[in-house]
Amino acid sequence: MLEKFLHGFVAAAKIIGLNYSFLLSDYERIPWLSGIGITILLALCSILGSLLVGVVLAALLASRQAWLRGPARGLIELLRNTPTLVQLYCAFFVLNMLLNQVLGGAEHNPLTPFHWVVLVLSLHYGAYHAEALRAGIEAVPATTREAALSLGFSRVELLRHVELPLALRFSLPALTSNLINLVKSTALGAAIAVGELTYASLMIWVQRDNVLELMIFIFLIYAVLTYVVARLGRALENYLRMPGYGH
Amino acid sequence: MAIDNVIPASCSARIRWWAAPSPILLWFLALGAAWLLLYVFYAETITILINWLPLLGRGLLMNVLISVLAMAIGTVLGLVVGALELSPLGWVQSPARGYVQIFRNAPLLVLIFFTTYVFPFEVKIAGQYLPFPDWFKATIGLALPASAHIAEIFRGAVQSIPTPQWEASSSLAFTRSQTLRWIILPQCVKRALPPWMNLYAMITMSTTLASLVGVTELLEAAKNASNTVNRTDFTILVYLSVLSLFFVYCYPITRLTRRLEKRFAYH
Repeated sequence: MLEKFLHGFVAAAKIIGLNYSFLLSDYERIPWLSGIGITILLALCSILGSLLVGVVLAALLASRQAWLRGPARGLIELLRNTPTLVQLYCAFFVLNMLLNQVLGGAEHNPLTPFHWVVLVLSLHYGAYHAEALRAGIEAVPATTREAALSLGFSRVELLRHVELPLALRFSLPALTSNLINLVKSTALGAAIAVGELTYASLMIWVQRDNVLELMIFIFLIYAVLTYVVARLGRALENYLRMPGYGH
Repeated sequence: MAIDNVIPASCSARIRWWAAPSPILLWFLALGAAWLLLYVFYAETITILINWLPLLGRGLLMNVLISVLAMAIGTVLGLVVGALELSPLGWVQSPARGYVQIFRNAPLLVLIFFTTYVFPFEVKIAGQYLPFPDWFKATIGLALPASAHIAEIFRGAVQSIPTPQWEASSSLAFTRSQTLRWIILPQCVKRALPPWMNLYAMITMSTTLASLVGVTELLEAAKNASNTVNRTDFTILVYLSVLSLFFVYCYPITRLTRRLEKRFAYH
């Protein structure tokens, strides 16, 4: 069934001059399809990681202690004003190398390039999330904050139960747009040979010289992924909407 | 809190500059101190780095060249596409919208791969073969998404000007093109400048992606240097230098953008 469909598709594409014959070879189709899976997994892990980093950094930014706020602000500025690829290289070629030396050889190192990409993307986009959430926390009306404090909320409870839930609603559009950029950035995994969609396609087109054909698929797949994230973000915005608050 | 409100903004800024030095200054001081410490303890490694500086410098020039050129091409193209997007005619508007959608939503790395591998390595113009080098293909790969972003910035800026201004100026006997030239566009420049600068910083940071298609820019030069020297301390040093160079280049742009945003917010 699948075989038949693939043959039909390849033949039909050939008529308009597109060479998709790699789909018929198991050695090429299977890594390519798993590349799509790895891209999705990479995006999911990095989305969760970046949100975690974002909340932690935003909490530090909202702190009243200067020794917590200062380093958090410095880290955010550093992460936002340097290229993601340079960060990835610093992590993979410097930190990973040092880790290898400490552990006594690459074979003892449990971290793979996949982990490093997730780590770097989480930190990079976490910094953007933190900035968005900080704006949301600043938008919480002072009267709401005072009301919570007068009810005996501690600073941490205030952040956890009042400021962050309201900030989330305020900054959800910005968070969604960051997450869309994050999904697009998973292509950077190709730089350190993570077998995600872009890298898997690269491996095929250097053999078959069918760049255009693969590009069409790549654009379509990233378009679908970013569309899904955008729709989920919009749905969450509607679900969380409180009448009279936010945009 | 209360006292803060009493002092006018301009005055408080003048009083406090020494008490709370600008973050740029703090960052640059920290970087400078870090380099000084490195020089004291790792003089030998620093000497190797100094030997490699001409190569790294040429790499950085390549980054600057690609970013400036991509931004220039992107701005010209983006203004055209943005103007088309503003057209009331559907058959003009929708292709422009499609262009913006495609190039804004594709990953930059994929676009750079696209221009590098799909475009020929030389073009024939009037019987002459002109080389089409990789760095220029990468520039186009960045100029395309830049133009899509600029089209959106331009469209947003024009549409953010209240429509009564068009009506008011037509009642003052301005023609449509005069209104655009003398009334709408000057206000757009102000509104579009901060996002345009943001985009420049983004494109500058994205020029490192060109290293993945074999352009010898800063990151690629650093990678070559680290592989050739093959010393742990040098590898650390060279990658941290690349990181700090980009930071030193991009952070002031970001700060300036934020200041402009604040200043223009009231107009």
